Amino acid sequence: MPNEITLSVNGVKEVVSAAPETPLLFVLRNDLKLTGLHMGCGMAQCGACAVLLDGEEVRTCVTPVSYAVGKQVTTIEGLPAVWAEKKGLSAAEAAKTLHPVQQAWIDEQVPQCGYCQSGMMIAAVQLLAKIPNPTVAQIKDAFTNTPPSPHLCRCGTYSAIIDAVRRAAKAMRV
Amino acid sequence: MKANVERRGNSRTATTVTRRGFVKMGGALFVSALIPARFTTANAENLYSLDPTQLASWLEIRSDNTIVVRTGRTETGTGMSAYYAQAVAEELNVRPETISLIMGDTDRTPDGGYSAGFLYGMSNVRKVAAYTHQALLGLAAKSLGIPVASLTVADGVVTGGGRSISYGQLVEGQQLELRIPIEGALPKPDPAKWMGVTGLDGLTVTGAPPMKAPSQFKVMGTSYPVPSIPDKVTGKMLWSCDVRLPGMLHARMVRPASPGSRLLSAGEIDKKQFPTAEVVKKGNLVAVVSPDEWEAVNAARAVASATKWTEWEGLPGSENLTKALRERDWGEPSQSRGKKDDVAAAFRKADKTIRSSYEQPYVRHAPIGPYLAVADAHVDGSVTVWTHSAQSQGLRARLAYMLNVPVDKVVVRWLEQSGQYGRTTYGGDGAEADAVILSQLSGKPVRVQWTLQEDLAWSTASPGWVSDIRCALDARGRVTGIQSAFYSPHESDARLLGAILAGMPTTSDKTGMWIATEWPYERIATRLEEAYGMPNLGADSSSGGLRGNIMRTPGQRQQNFALEGLMNEAAAAAKADPVQFRKDHTSEPRLLELLDATAKAAAWEPRPSPRRGARKTGGTAMHGRGMCIMLRANAYWVGIAEVEVTPATGVVKVTKFTIGADPGKVINPRQLDRCMKSGVAMGLSEALKEEVTFDKSKVTSTNWSRYKILTMEELPEIKVVQISRDDKGFGGGSEAANAVVPPAVAAAIFDATGVSPRRIPLTPEYVTRLLKT
Repeated sequence: MPNEITLSVNGVKEVVSAAPETPLLFVLRNDLKLTGLHMGCGMAQCGACAVLLDGEEVRTCVTPVSYAVGKQVTTIEGLPAVWAEKKGLSAAEAAKTLHPVQQAWIDEQVPQCGYCQSGMMIAAVQLLAKIPNPTVAQIKDAFTNTPPSPHLCRCGTYSAIIDAVRRAAKAMRV
Repeated sequence: MKANVERRGNSRTATTVTRRGFVKMGGALFVSALIPARFTTANAENLYSLDPTQLASWLEIRSDNTIVVRTGRTETGTGMSAYYAQAVAEELNVRPETISLIMGDTDRTPDGGYSAGFLYGMSNVRKVAAYTHQALLGLAAKSLGIPVASLTVADGVVTGGGRSISYGQLVEGQQLELRIPIEGALPKPDPAKWMGVTGLDGLTVTGAPPMKAPSQFKVMGTSYPVPSIPDKVTGKMLWSCDVRLPGMLHARMVRPASPGSRLLSAGEIDKKQFPTAEVVKKGNLVAVVSPDEWEAVNAARAVASATKWTEWEGLPGSENLTKALRERDWGEPSQSRGKKDDVAAAFRKADKTIRSSYEQPYVRHAPIGPYLAVADAHVDGSVTVWTHSAQSQGLRARLAYMLNVPVDKVVVRWLEQSGQYGRTTYGGDGAEADAVILSQLSGKPVRVQWTLQEDLAWSTASPGWVSDIRCALDARGRVTGIQSAFYSPHESDARLLGAILAGMPTTSDKTGMWIATEWPYERIATRLEEAYGMPNLGADSSSGGLRGNIMRTPGQRQQNFALEGLMNEAAAAAKADPVQFRKDHTSEPRLLELLDATAKAAAWEPRPSPRRGARKTGGTAMHGRGMCIMLRANAYWVGIAEVEVTPATGVVKVTKFTIGADPGKVINPRQLDRCMKSGVAMGLSEALKEEVTFDKSKVTSTNWSRYKILTMEELPEIKVVQISRDDKGFGGGSEAANAVVPPAVAAAIFDATGVSPRRIPLTPEYVTRLLKT
């Protein structure tokens, strides 16, 4: 039965009515209209639905909404604000600034179909929080061997992702 | 893009755009007061929402100097939306940033055609832009009182005699009758034709308006970014999975137990547990709908477990696929090319003959996002569908055939979504028929989201195949003749699954295989190529069995594995360096230059394969390198793989891949670079990992741990070589990149071990078995 559930999503308090076991994916996409993340495999095997929960990547297709209560949910829509806060940008500056990972994804022209890229950027943000200057081997390892599964891209943009992560790392060190 | 899903007027009436609607949508129209009549043909039904002979249907210039271009073709992820803008900008002398595209909507674009047929689509909009440019110059000459020859144009501003006027100013309040010459017709059902639909090529803009020579290009040839990328990266993009209509139901399908199963009884909904869910069914098409997506998911699972199907065992099992194909009586080839007698003579005179057989199991497109569609069926029999199909007009025709309504009763709206890799090129396959049928039955708009398991089992797949190929070598080690036979189940089944399962009319395709190879070796003139087709495996079942369909670089990808495998084996027999061996069999300057440039980039050391010290045993890794070529759509390709093979484990690691392409004039170097690299990733995935498995009744590789695709860790260093030419036209710049990978990787394994792989995927199990023989 639906409960009233209070979430903190991209720094905003949101109240939704949902059964507690509803996957966070459906709440974010259908109730909160945060459609940057995508439904992929539905069993935590691809990464298209990833978001950050208190800074750690989770797969929202298998994460019950109740699990997110009391934690900070960050989707790609919220990444610019994360960066603005970190850099102490004014509201005016923040409004025209993207997170360096997003900017790098544009500069390197990463997305092809782009369906998986929301999850890829989430994985990149998490990686760069842990390893600010990753080597190519570390990037490959992070996108492949971080549980629960590799982040999969069928268009084959892995090479562009590696370039973009390195570009973002450089931008974030400045 | 957000405006694309605005629902016009009364949602329960037809939404075919009228000319008045068109004017309202377009704002300041280039052809302002002249409202052309709808384009009519001799046919009773009107295929045309926009009159394709009128300029305004293709292109509008607005008073603020921005331009709207309409094309029925779509973005498939490889950057066409950038290239179309570049082509128009080039001929109009405007910046590409001023151009916005409307793509793929059947009611808002004039033409149709395969989205993969980018070169034809680009030719269309480029000619339209060139015609428009001439017309604008005429207007400017009149306005400025200066002859056309004395005018110059930059950034959409015409200058002459010390005065300037923008395109926007020129067209404001102007009337211009500009007719666009076209050939062809939009798709409509025709059961007598090969695909069951005619007109899949779409319309062609004809004539020869003055156009710039490639040497004069300022926009084409630059790395203009793909316009939709910022929205994809920030979450602002409206994808087809984001379409939400008032009153819309979410649907999950309950698929048959096997392709041959028929419904005995559908499970029922426990209303206490799922108060808003309903079962909707027609024939073998069963679904659960609910306004709540999560409730639809759970109720569908419950219904699926209680639904009874007949049993069926009509497949050979994937481990017996090759045997089943080998045992078949294939009859006459569906296509044959070359001269039997000449080839027979070449083999009689041969100093040496090399014979080989190659094979591959079923593989599939396997996008990250499963099929998805939204449909709104109206009471008057018309229907609007939101899709990510790569062939909107063809899909429209197929849906109309299914519904037995005139084509103009169906409107297809296109939005981006997960990649297709060829599976919707003919406008079939997908969730659209499911959505339309469920919307009709429920009387509400319905959004159908397939699951991954469903997609990996029920979408069309690229069929397995076997090929026998042999060549004759003369005493100098030159190939004097080649004979090949390619055998494969149906590879063009574009029927709508929903229609098949519901027992509704489906356009029927003719079974047959074709010769896809474009011959790159003009010094090997004597050859006989044959392609043999058969129906789908399990074709006589209620749903048509394993439905085969084209997939990136279709036919040629498979046939080139055999051809280039043979050429590598022949080079070894001739003790020739594989690159030099290619050069010995062509005098085409483009191919020769590309071979040299790619070999140089790869630091290729000329020598025959296998390498000295090659071995097929041992627990340490052996290094090897191999190469292959391809000619496709006026583009030459060279692939060079470097691998490490550990014979004891059969593990193959590709350490480096160098890919070279000469597609004539390169339109966008950076996008070509990324398409070449991503194509290598897809090709490696196919070379090393991919195989659809099935038992006697159903597909079993239905998740990512069973249908394995390449991960980032497996990506090698990739080097790219591009050659752009101003005098060879445009060629296919992306598609074939995947296809030059498997033959090069197989050749590298031969180089390392002295044993030629003749099958992909090169899994540890296969390679271990291979090296033991």
